[in-house]
Amino acid sequence: MSFGRFALKRSLQGIGVVWGVITVVFALRFVTPGSPINAVAPLDASQETRAAIAAELGLDQPLYVQYGQYVFNLLQGDMGRSYIKGQEVTTLVFERLPATVELAVAASVVALVLAIPLGVVSATNRNESVDYGATLLSLGGISTPNFWLGIMLILIFAVEFDVFNTSGRGVNVGDVALSLTNAEPFVGTLFAWLAYITLPAIALGTYFMALITRLTRSGMLDELSKGYVQAARAKGLPRTLIRYKHALRNTLIPVITVLGLQLGTLIGGAVITEAVFSWPGLGTLVIESINQRDWPALQGSLIVIGTSFVLVNILVDVVYAYLDPEVVND
Amino acid sequence: MPTDNDDHVDRRTVLKYAGTAGAVGLAGCAGGDGEGGDGDAFELGVTMGQMDSGLDPQDHAETNTEIIVGQSYEGLLDRDKEGGIIAGLADDWERTDDGNVRFMLRDGLTFHNGDEVTPEDVRFSIRRIVFDDVGIVSPQSNDLGVVDEVTTGDGEVTVSFEGYNPIAFQLFATNGEIVQQSWVEENGGDYINRNVNGTGPFRITEYDSGNEGVYEPFEDYWDGEPAVGELTMSASSESSTRVNQLLAEETDIVTNVPPNEVSRVNDSDVARINSVPSARVIFLQMRYDVEPFSSQQFRQALNHAVDIESIIENVLNGFGSVTAQPTLEEHVGYNPDIDPYPYDPDEAERLVEESGHAGVEITLETPIGRYLRDVDIAQAAADQIDSLSNVSCGLEQREFSSLVQDITAPDIEDRPHFNLLGWGNGEFDGSQTLTPLLSSNGALTVLKNDEMDGLLTDAEATEDPDERVDILREANQLAHDLAPWVFMHQQFSVYGVSDDISWDPRTDEFIDPDTATQQ
Repeated sequence: MSFGRFALKRSLQGIGVVWGVITVVFALRFVTPGSPINAVAPLDASQETRAAIAAELGLDQPLYVQYGQYVFNLLQGDMGRSYIKGQEVTTLVFERLPATVELAVAASVVALVLAIPLGVVSATNRNESVDYGATLLSLGGISTPNFWLGIMLILIFAVEFDVFNTSGRGVNVGDVALSLTNAEPFVGTLFAWLAYITLPAIALGTYFMALITRLTRSGMLDELSKGYVQAARAKGLPRTLIRYKHALRNTLIPVITVLGLQLGTLIGGAVITEAVFSWPGLGTLVIESINQRDWPALQGSLIVIGTSFVLVNILVDVVYAYLDPEVVND
Repeated sequence: MPTDNDDHVDRRTVLKYAGTAGAVGLAGCAGGDGEGGDGDAFELGVTMGQMDSGLDPQDHAETNTEIIVGQSYEGLLDRDKEGGIIAGLADDWERTDDGNVRFMLRDGLTFHNGDEVTPEDVRFSIRRIVFDDVGIVSPQSNDLGVVDEVTTGDGEVTVSFEGYNPIAFQLFATNGEIVQQSWVEENGGDYINRNVNGTGPFRITEYDSGNEGVYEPFEDYWDGEPAVGELTMSASSESSTRVNQLLAEETDIVTNVPPNEVSRVNDSDVARINSVPSARVIFLQMRYDVEPFSSQQFRQALNHAVDIESIIENVLNGFGSVTAQPTLEEHVGYNPDIDPYPYDPDEAERLVEESGHAGVEITLETPIGRYLRDVDIAQAAADQIDSLSNVSCGLEQREFSSLVQDITAPDIEDRPHFNLLGWGNGEFDGSQTLTPLLSSNGALTVLKNDEMDGLLTDAEATEDPDERVDILREANQLAHDLAPWVFMHQQFSVYGVSDDISWDPRTDEFIDPDTATQQ
């Protein structure tokens, strides 16, 4: 199979997955107790008012009509209007998506910047104090619930020492970029952005960091014990060349796979971190939508999350295939 | 928030000297530095648990949205902090000889876009709320009574009802925000839900749906431009995050401080707790038509079995007051002669025996996280009932939307037998609790009693206010005796407030930053 056909096949599979997400999420509304009318109408609304609201929202239509209408509108890029907010879902979702992506990427950067050096150092200093320290750190990272870590980070670094903001997203990465082109001082804007993003990125990235550290350590140990490394040593290649050009490169292949999967998870799974830090991302919108049974907003959010997940995985597959051409033939 | 007298160098100081005034402004540090304003103008931040559900003032039915849109929209009448009726856009009002109500508009009122407020705008606004064929199906359609028609005159508006409406002014003091007809008709729903054009003290300059709204004072406000130079309303669903924001001086007012965080706020040197009895009553509903709750003795027994004073003290840290009737003390129709059921497990056990339901097993259903410490309160009540020797009581926690689906079921037979519920009465009139919750045709009723129905019907038709109060008091006495609820408590609104400002909370749960002053 050619590389192009491989990429096309993965893309078609992705479309199928997204369609599945749309259908499953749509079906969920009919098996979930509760109704959006309860979030729209006051508790003492008459049955007539409830019926009128249901008709206005289109909830009085048969299921197949609602589904058909939804898919038809979706194909035209229209995700409908939020039952609760009365606003266009497309706008609501794409207002929130940048915040979630920004947080997910920042968390990944925090994780990778720490994890790969830690994993390498740990593997190359096996059973030494630095290895034990890195192992302890990664075990702590895996075991610590991120909501607890988030609250502790806020208490220590925002409330007690006033180094970072407690919550919110007052300055975003776009503001930092814009400050390069306008009168806003770049350094100040950068620091202001860091004041907001650092704590949630650490809280969200810690588990990921621990995971990648363990993966890198075990991968490096595995690679360093292989024959080609011994051959390279026998040829007299420098130790750093063997470690960082040969062993680390091969170690990074599974790390990239996990990175892709985790980035998708971070986009969809930052709900708790977003709540603790009042980070205005998709996770918060998903929770609000579930609580209020705001099906259009929930469906729109999950479709975007699902699509992001699929896209990231397709990208990882393609990169993986590029790094290891045998994957295409498999 | 830091002042010029602070001698430590903190992050905001560093950022300021790094030249980030603009960036910090972007950051929405509404707590601000208390600097840079003109004269007495200052920045104020308010952080709630949740933001609005859209900015259309007539297309929502919940408190958070009312707080967000209520900074920009107003009604004909208003309320003071204690719930008393005061003038709003109407500076005079009267009941006409034929029982209608007439409102005289202030002179020179303008919307935020500079256009004059006309009686036609008022007529359109009221009709948009109550009639389904004027743009939207408003969830507030019952909030102004059964309106027949709205007519306009020179600077005045007259509202007629189907029958006599004894609480018309109470209803208009709480509901009925005024929008501009042409602005609404020219713009679609999405636009109206993302922008404001009211008459209120603030207008929105930045709006991030679900996250934050930034307001500036409306310079032509009829009651004078507010002292707050910039207002930021934002949301943090986590109560600990809201408290941390307050203690880190990033905001000035936070809502719903949980009892376990109260001492952390009070012990700080930057903020304090302000609380006020709210217009919300918490109770345990019991359905009249199913055993064992069909027995009046059994229902009274449960009232004796629950030690509400202990629950208020231990679960709510004192932020609540015991109730003995559906109507709260601040509301029209409250009966001051009714005492709460005393906590008396022996009497409870005796009444259970008398009811013939000894040995019965019951389950209390409670929403999760809807009311202040609702699950803990329900757990404590269920445990106390379960400790009776002749009743077993379990607890079922339910997600609110799911529980409401059952509570509002058209047929009473589909409703829960025994559940915790809270009811906010923003109209400050007892009938607005008794009718929906305890009349036979009430949307949430658990009771069918001819005497109660007769009293409530009389209250609806009585034109003499004093006589009406007597009727409502009698209805409250009847409700106490019939005990369709385990009468629990009046919920308090608990706010964390920065020491940099002076602000008193309101009974009706609305937040009025225009009354805050810097100190």
